[in-house]
Amino acid sequence: MAAQGFKRLVRRHSEIGIFLIAGLLVVFFATSSDGRWANLYNFATILQVTATLGLMTLGVALVIGTGEIDISVGSTFGMGALVYLWLALRIDPAIAMLAAVTVGGLIGAFNGWLITKTGTPSLIITLGSLMIFRGIAIALTDGFSFSIPYAARGGFTYWLFGGGDILGFNTGLIWLLVSLVVLMILLRATPFGNRLLAVGGSAASAHSRGVRVDRIKFSAFVICGLLAGLAGGLEAGKLGFADGSMGRLMELQAIASCVLGGCLLAGGRVSLPGALMGAFVLSSIQSYLVVMGVRPQWFILTLGVIVVAAALGDRLLRQWAVKR
Amino acid sequence: MQTPLQALVRSQSFGAVIGVVLMLAVFSIVDFSGWWRSQTLANVAHFSAILGLVAMGQALVIITKEIDLSVGSVYGLTGVAFITFEPQYGVGGAIILALLIAALVGAVQGLLVVKGKLPSMIVTLGGLFAARGLIYVWTGGSVNNFSQAARINPLTRLFGGELFGIEAAIFWMIGLCIALNIMLWGTRFGNRLLATGGAQDSAESRGVRSDHVKIATFTLCALLAGFAGIVTLADKPQTHVTLGDLMELEAIAAAVIGGCLLSGGRGSLVGAVLGAFIITSFRYELIALGAPSSWFITFVGVVLIVAVIFNQSLARRAGHSV
Amino acid sequence: MSGTPLIQVKNLQLYFGAFHALKNVSLDFNAGELIGLVGDNGAGKTTLIRVLCGIHKPTSGEVWFNGERVEKFHPKLAIDQGIETIQQSVGLCDNLSIARNFYLGREPVRRIFGIPILDFKKMREMSTRVIREFGLRDNVSADDEVERLSGGERQSVKIGRAVEFKNRVVIMDEPTNHLSVREREHVNELAVALKEQGLLVIYITHDIFQVHKLADRIIIMENGEKIEDAATSAMTADALEEVIRQGGRKVEKREAV
Repeated sequence: MAAQGFKRLVRRHSEIGIFLIAGLLVVFFATSSDGRWANLYNFATILQVTATLGLMTLGVALVIGTGEIDISVGSTFGMGALVYLWLALRIDPAIAMLAAVTVGGLIGAFNGWLITKTGTPSLIITLGSLMIFRGIAIALTDGFSFSIPYAARGGFTYWLFGGGDILGFNTGLIWLLVSLVVLMILLRATPFGNRLLAVGGSAASAHSRGVRVDRIKFSAFVICGLLAGLAGGLEAGKLGFADGSMGRLMELQAIASCVLGGCLLAGGRVSLPGALMGAFVLSSIQSYLVVMGVRPQWFILTLGVIVVAAALGDRLLRQWAVKR
Repeated sequence: MQTPLQALVRSQSFGAVIGVVLMLAVFSIVDFSGWWRSQTLANVAHFSAILGLVAMGQALVIITKEIDLSVGSVYGLTGVAFITFEPQYGVGGAIILALLIAALVGAVQGLLVVKGKLPSMIVTLGGLFAARGLIYVWTGGSVNNFSQAARINPLTRLFGGELFGIEAAIFWMIGLCIALNIMLWGTRFGNRLLATGGAQDSAESRGVRSDHVKIATFTLCALLAGFAGIVTLADKPQTHVTLGDLMELEAIAAAVIGGCLLSGGRGSLVGAVLGAFIITSFRYELIALGAPSSWFITFVGVVLIVAVIFNQSLARRAGHSV
Repeated sequence: MSGTPLIQVKNLQLYFGAFHALKNVSLDFNAGELIGLVGDNGAGKTTLIRVLCGIHKPTSGEVWFNGERVEKFHPKLAIDQGIETIQQSVGLCDNLSIARNFYLGREPVRRIFGIPILDFKKMREMSTRVIREFGLRDNVSADDEVERLSGGERQSVKIGRAVEFKNRVVIMDEPTNHLSVREREHVNELAVALKEQGLLVIYITHDIFQVHKLADRIIIMENGEKIEDAATSAMTADALEEVIRQGGRKVEKREAV
């Protein structure tokens, strides 16, 4: 009886798998690390990393929801970070952040426009823009890094955009939570969200019901770009410096988070809290390896194994759930 | 009957042929690097051959309607394995072991895609991380060099030496390109591979074991990437843990420039090699121009986007639904 | 029928790449008519109605609706004009609930602080009423995903949706596929009832005998062309079937050349 109920839960909520994994990992990490992992300071660090990765993940999840993919977000993140930091030195951080988010949105629009106008696979187009903007980012910085002197790291707006803490937690977390709530309402309770999921479920059916498929896809790419730009700005604000390689390989972590969180790559099924939990799991593992003194080389190996293992585990769980 | 010209225009590699012709024309006119000097051409051809090997494997995988993001890491892992095994097992043993590792990585990925019913993008993304991580963990960050004896070993020379002043890699690439073309267009396996990518359901309904075909293709792709790694290091046996970083992007770009469609069932191995040639040439020319090396990445991105749009419209004009 | 036709198609041509899908098709459709559109697979029936409901844009030729030339083709515009289509293979998204599918593209909203929020209550009530009317299993609720439904139930949802919204044209593409005998009769009765309400009903099938009993007029297509357009009072079902058969032979001859 309990198993039956659980099956129904899994069928209805694709994100159950990642919440289970996250729960088990938290228990394991907390008990096996002598308090080095489970303390407030370390948690705050994990959540800060989750905040920037998570914002990016939410955007990617929306794009995956339409049945497309955006692997350029790491480069968009890098561009956002550079734009923010370069401008924050010169003008108010609020305007700098606006510029960073705009640049992100423009990159998203560039992707979305090319994909919907030419009908080319998003994997290739965004692979192209990943390279284009990574190259530009490195060229802009000339291989060096920008940084903000400590003296200039003040002011309310600098604090607000990742440059400070509230109750011990980085302000980036606020942006993540706000974005999560807004996007969940957008996805579940508005016509736009209904159409976005319909496009991912069956673009032909959505089209036949009068949904403008291209507009929906375009908007998803723009939102994804905006969020990646925001995440980049927040990360730059937190660190106080930025270089041309910021956000490298983060697109892969973001996609992995989405898959871990129960988003179907084929489209139509996404869970924003699940995707966020995926990002949390990835950041937790990273932090565990760090506090346990494991050489950082292991992170990338574990990441690879976990991505595949979790995707497989999620699939098996769902198979089990649909069996009667 | 089609004339050879019509056949060329209709072939998947037509876009890449145009690209190569245009590029050669431009480099002849706007020549910063002494493009037509034998030294330049030899270098470009050498690196094109190595990228071409990886790109051919990628092309085969794309033709089956999958994708392999792990080739850069497999290229690096195999190369590092080759160097690391050499002191213990000799050159021949190291080559065999290294290729076995590559084949194993490919087969495991193929198995996970087929039996685990997972998207190849996720599996090979995991493979990209895992294989790269393995390099770091195994070597601890630094890779040994070859001994003097190993450098002049005939096997090392066979893979990394020169013949009539031409790098062995080029001969290997041409030989394998011919062999793989015969395999793809002239054997049962090739026919099944094309069918699997073109219409998996129909292929299965005719008794094709598309799962076996896909596992074999992933293995072949990893083997080609690994072989490219060995050829690279046999020539210059010193390396770093980042060997092959981002090569998956270049390989996918080369395959796509060469006319592989992600919708599966269509592609060209010769096109993939030409794509590799285009990418390598631009890198060389940009370096010669004195442009920061990062512009090369930007450039590949632009070429990739232009190529995919161009090839797709060519295919649509030919009446294919893509 | 009097006055201008509700839908008028003039010299319609449509190419998919090199494939000539519609060859110079001209047709009139009047309000209050039930028209049987008949032909074998690949005859161009579905392609033709996909032009009428805005999915495909014709390569050349004109479409007139209610006396006005149609310039832009998009399903949204067709639906806004009151052309409701029951597609054969598309129309429902498996991943969405019945209620969400029901209103896809025209979701009712309530504005909360100016933000359009879906009116879940209305969506649920309306779609529940329709699925009960169409006899879906009792344990199926409007919140269930379409994935759970059988072929017949899916068809019922599509038909119920088309009937529910007040329209001027209902196009049914093979509406009785996947249906039981009783469900089939229900659909046929509905088609006649809609016609009697003054709507234009275009009923597509390859079964000439089934539609001959219902329709006022039969249009036969073959190989992308219109080959017959006759009132059911003027030609028997057997005579029409003979036309289809001859059309079939003509195709074979052409392909052999």
